Amino acid sequence: MTTQPVRYRLDADEGDPRSAERGLASLVLTIVELLRQLMERQAIRRVEDGTVTGEQAEQLGYNLMLLDERMTELTEKFGLTREDLNIDLGPLGPLLGD
Amino acid sequence: MSLTRELAPTELPSQRVALVDLLDRVLAGGVVITGEITLSMADVDLVTISLRALLASVSALAEETT
Repeated sequence: MTTQPVRYRLDADEGDPRSAERGLASLVLTIVELLRQLMERQAIRRVEDGTVTGEQAEQLGYNLMLLDERMTELTEKFGLTREDLNIDLGPLGPLLGD
Repeated sequence: MSLTRELAPTELPSQRVALVDLLDRVLAGGVVITGEITLSMADVDLVTISLRALLASVSALAEETT
């Protein structure tokens, strides 16, 4: 299946030169968020499989929660929302989950 | 907002599964994903990123090598 490339326009908003970094920030944060969500799901799997200790499971949960909070802070810092990171991949559906 | 995403022309009407959930499910076997990203400014395409990445859970790769 061939799809169109995801296109990022990196221009600043009209009349708001301070928004110049927003485009690049959203690109980077999208990749970071994809990896974070993937790790979160895999961590849940490992906990359900019982291949991590109780202490490790607790640490995983704690750190994933911290990462989630940081992502919200980072997106706000760049004038973005978490929804902005969820690219629509057309026929493939959205990139990210909830 | 100048940051826009152009979507692929077709869209499936069925239920939409997030790619991250799909990836999570196939990670046990390992998967290669490819993607194309175009960076543009002022309607000028500047950079094309063509990604090809192998993703696998640690246990999947461990089984492969032992």
